[in-house]
Amino acid sequence: MAFERDLLALLPRLRRFAASLSRNPADGDDLCQASIERALKSRDHWQAGTRLDSWMYRIMRNLWIDEVRARTRRSQTFVAEEGGLAVGNDGDKQTEMAVEIGNVGRAMEKLPAEQREVIALVLVEGFAYKEAAEILDIPIGTLTSRLCRGRDALMVHLGEAA
Amino acid sequence: MKIDRETLMAYADGELDYMSAKRVERAMAAQPELAEQVAAHRALRTTLANHFAPVIDAPLPERLTTPLDETVVRLRGAPQRLFFFQVKSLAALAAALVIGLLLGQTIPFGGSEPVGNQEGRLVAQGDLVRALDTQLASTQSGDAATRIGLTFRDREGQVCRTFDGAALSGIACHVAGRWHLKRTSAREEQETPAYRQAGSAYMMEAAQRMMAGDPMDADAERKAMDSDWE
Repeated sequence: MAFERDLLALLPRLRRFAASLSRNPADGDDLCQASIERALKSRDHWQAGTRLDSWMYRIMRNLWIDEVRARTRRSQTFVAEEGGLAVGNDGDKQTEMAVEIGNVGRAMEKLPAEQREVIALVLVEGFAYKEAAEILDIPIGTLTSRLCRGRDALMVHLGEAA
Repeated sequence: MKIDRETLMAYADGELDYMSAKRVERAMAAQPELAEQVAAHRALRTTLANHFAPVIDAPLPERLTTPLDETVVRLRGAPQRLFFFQVKSLAALAAALVIGLLLGQTIPFGGSEPVGNQEGRLVAQGDLVRALDTQLASTQSGDAATRIGLTFRDREGQVCRTFDGAALSGIACHVAGRWHLKRTSAREEQETPAYRQAGSAYMMEAAQRMMAGDPMDADAERKAMDSDWE
């Protein structure tokens, strides 16, 4: 069926978006899976002829925001879990890579959710400002100011500030 | 000339119209620090893009592709209870696919073989087409060679029918004047009643997944036939 086929074709991009929103690949795939299930369930709401990718990004983003809010409520538990995740990553090379991967990931994670989703859509997924603003349902001025602040913060965290 | 930060960023992202971009470029020529900021914006974009790029080429995990795989019947409702049936049915499905492709290649036109191959798709042909076209579940005779089970519309609005024949059972959907076989299961000789039941449960489960709304009643089935299953 065309719907499933088109979703399958979008999957690598959706997975990347999920990865840029989430703290680790496993969380990213959880988000991706939940988004696919939601999309299949609410396929009747998608209008043929409109962009499936924007629709899917919106679904994923909304699920993620729900998760972020839920997580904020139980943040104590998650801090402990995160401490545990760093353990057991042995081998020099692997550690080195993990640190490097971690830099961008950690910098992203420090961003407030509303900056992070904007960064992910524009800088990682390559959406134009207008498209990203439509996905997030915010005015374009709001998008550019969040993008600007998010970028400044990332540059500071990554040590790339001039 | 004063260029605000957001305008500079928009320039770095290629979001400015021609006139605004020219204005920024003139300012950059006069103020090298602006050019540096543009370079920093672009470097950050590259860093982020490179960081997440490997995800695009990474093999997709099954848990993400399976819900979208049209050839696998989804059994999310009660996976454990039906697991045994699923494995057996999938083997039958694979066998039926092979049989279907062979039949399609060796007997491409007409004939009484139930399955043909049209542009790589399995389609019903011969007697199976006649059964799908003309048989109503409500009026078919008990000893019909192929029995029609449910008739329903799938989520794309196509009319689909489950059928159960001597050699093959399955689900066919009416697409552009042909009956496309969406699910097939080969019947084995000397099949035990239990297995036959499992195969039938598998088809019902598959039909349920494909269905938009309820299956047609006798009246709706007749109306669908009268409008050529469109």
